[in-house]
Amino acid sequence: MAVALTMARMKMSILRHSMKGQQGGTMAGAGGLGVLLAGGTIVLAFLGGDWLAAAYTVWMLGWIIGPVFSGGGDETLRPEFFSLLGLRPQRMAAGLLVAAFVGVAPAVSLLALGGLLVVGVREGVAGALVAVPAMVLQLAVFVLLSKVTVALLGLALGSRAGAIGAGLINGVILAFLGQIWVFMVALGQGGQIPAFVRYLPSGWGLLAVQGQYLALAAMAVLIVLLLAAWAALLARRAGRSRPSTRGRRPMRAATPHGAVVAKELRSWTRDLVRNHQLAFAFTYGVAFAAVPLLVGISQLVPLAGPIFIMMAAAMTSNAYGADGTAHWLTLMTPGASDVRGRQLAWLTAVGPIGLVLAVVSTAAVGGPWPLVMAATFALLGGAAGLVSLMSVMALIPGIDPRNRGGNPLRTSEDDGSATGMAYLMLVLVAVTAAPAVLVALRYGWWGVPAGLLTGVLCWWGFGLLAERRLTARGPELLHLMRTGRRPDSGKPASGAFDLPGNMSPTQRTIVLICGAFGAIPLVPQGIIAMVFLADGQLRHSWFLATYMPPALRWPVAIGFVVLGIAMYGTALALWSRAKKAAAR
Amino acid sequence: MTSPALEIRGLTKTFGENTAVDHVELSVPQGSFYGLVGQNGAGKTTTLSMAVGLLRPDAGSARIFGADVWADPAKAKQLVGVLPDGMAMPERLTGREVLTYLGLLRGLSKEVVAERAEELLSVLELDMAEKTLVIEYSTGMRKKIGLATALLHAPKLLVLDEPFEAVDPVSAATIKQILRGFVAGGGSVVLSSHVMALVEQLCDHVGVIDKGRVAAAGPLDEVRGQATLEDRFVELVGAGSTAAKGLSWL
Repeated sequence: MAVALTMARMKMSILRHSMKGQQGGTMAGAGGLGVLLAGGTIVLAFLGGDWLAAAYTVWMLGWIIGPVFSGGGDETLRPEFFSLLGLRPQRMAAGLLVAAFVGVAPAVSLLALGGLLVVGVREGVAGALVAVPAMVLQLAVFVLLSKVTVALLGLALGSRAGAIGAGLINGVILAFLGQIWVFMVALGQGGQIPAFVRYLPSGWGLLAVQGQYLALAAMAVLIVLLLAAWAALLARRAGRSRPSTRGRRPMRAATPHGAVVAKELRSWTRDLVRNHQLAFAFTYGVAFAAVPLLVGISQLVPLAGPIFIMMAAAMTSNAYGADGTAHWLTLMTPGASDVRGRQLAWLTAVGPIGLVLAVVSTAAVGGPWPLVMAATFALLGGAAGLVSLMSVMALIPGIDPRNRGGNPLRTSEDDGSATGMAYLMLVLVAVTAAPAVLVALRYGWWGVPAGLLTGVLCWWGFGLLAERRLTARGPELLHLMRTGRRPDSGKPASGAFDLPGNMSPTQRTIVLICGAFGAIPLVPQGIIAMVFLADGQLRHSWFLATYMPPALRWPVAIGFVVLGIAMYGTALALWSRAKKAAAR
Repeated sequence: MTSPALEIRGLTKTFGENTAVDHVELSVPQGSFYGLVGQNGAGKTTTLSMAVGLLRPDAGSARIFGADVWADPAKAKQLVGVLPDGMAMPERLTGREVLTYLGLLRGLSKEVVAERAEELLSVLELDMAEKTLVIEYSTGMRKKIGLATALLHAPKLLVLDEPFEAVDPVSAATIKQILRGFVAGGGSVVLSSHVMALVEQLCDHVGVIDKGRVAAAGPLDEVRGQATLEDRFVELVGAGSTAAKGLSWL
């Protein structure tokens, strides 16, 4: 136990240090949101039926899939730190497990598991007594499932087949989570949550509290098994993944621009993390668009291509940060246009797949062609522009590829900001397509030239801005990547989502709420609702505009879009004002 | 009078409360082999980074053959080859691809790049690892490919940060030979190191940096006088008593 306690204390110290900086703001924001979700879960405990079991399934999936999206999960304590101590794998895994209980995510999850206590108290004294160990065991199951998944992924990312396979699976799971409303609607129509949900590992705590004490033992057994599996995986982690060493095609480029493209395309095909990201974005797009078919909605199918493009942009939003300090070579060769080369390589890697996906999925349901094509072109250009601009403007220092150790997903120490940037990128890329989508909705095929036009403009304009920024602030970016600190300030690095220290708590709250929830009015209640309206699909699940009287339908949808943009605008304005004030 | 290969005037850099480099003045004559020595954290890397344009100074200037690194970066950076310590490379390329990529970025023609890459890989004995990506290179191999990128565009000045760290003796001998040949052909070299014997063996000029300031600089014989460079160094940086300290439990 001594090892475990030491590790837990060590993690406390590290967290305390990182709380002081800007990262503290991100943690507080994420924690606040988590508490809200946990509160919502506890409310479900007062309802009958299997709602609570269903909610815990979602929490469990969050633990399993979260690390994939947010840079390899919590690695405050890395197994490599202890590799010279000669600890037995089981002992190390147990220690890391105890340390893994320290942190925001476990605390929030434990709060959500408070629902078990509510159910237990309602069951009686025995139930209340069982609830406490059930909560702890259930949390251990969540944490361990997460750790084992990450470890398995780390192994999978050692080979191309594994990387792509893992990307495909993760894409499906995350798309299911994103489209959870489909399942709610489907279940709402059937009236009941399927019984198997109760018997998933996420429901065992609840079963125990409801009197099936065997579930408690089952959790204990599962924990022992998972711990053993994790220990075994940790022992294998020391061995590094090896990229394939088959014959290399010679570089045929003859110009500086061509050289950048050639370098980037080789990174796209050889870097297994990028393979994983593309596979992930692909299945996410397909699954997200296809899941609503379960409840007979086929209108989202043509969105597969656009969603793939958006997700690919989100996954690659920290392009410069991911390359780490290799940026010094760009600094030493002024005049060679790194940004344009990267943009072209991005389009080459993502564009053809996105286009084919858009055409095939639209053909499958017979339209609407103008809308999808307009969105696809606008998104491709918008993403190629924004990926370069964002990764320069809001660079999050990455870990140099050779220092990533056994967790290839871990591309940055500041995974909170990296995740925030990915979400922000999703929204910003969607906004670049808004004009073309509006034109397509109103004037049909005119949307396609509009999409091409905005796409080219975004690609050209954002790329130009990125290039200028790179020239003007290149040494500062390199310094940030080397040290994780912005020059001139001794403060820790701040990424896109870190709030300047001079903001009042109220401003912080406004920025966090607007930033976190702006997507709801903008995307589902605004843009998707418009798609339904344009298609004459009325009375759709929770798309408010489709329930309005005819005269109000379009105004309501447009109003939601305006509201969403206004929320993002407010957040951005407050943030940039404070940032400017802080810089002075 | 010809301008020095590298002239550093009043370079200063502060990180938070800590002044890492404090008004450093150095002049590297053309054709010299210049050694920059100092303890860990003395400011060698920070100085060299500012001198070649990788880190923006708070004050001061750096000129390479008269070209200001910050005002005229295109010209200055064409004249210099740099090997920084511990920076990443395009990790998913092979050694030959890294050289091809950089040569093209530098504006060399495809044929010239191919020729020079071939020669560099063979001289540095990296041609055995034709299919190995840089990410799989050992530390010593990384130094060698870094040196190759620094030499590729035929610079007139080389700025090398710890070029011999983690390099095996055989490769070190090769590198020394290349550098000596480079200087004999009229080139200038600045390297940082904390191995005094190495600096004494290779360099004709030396600068001693201590706590961000220049403690001594000039021709090697002037700086060390009658003593060895190591003795003179310890005297200059005033860390005399460490040898007497022992560890209580050993």
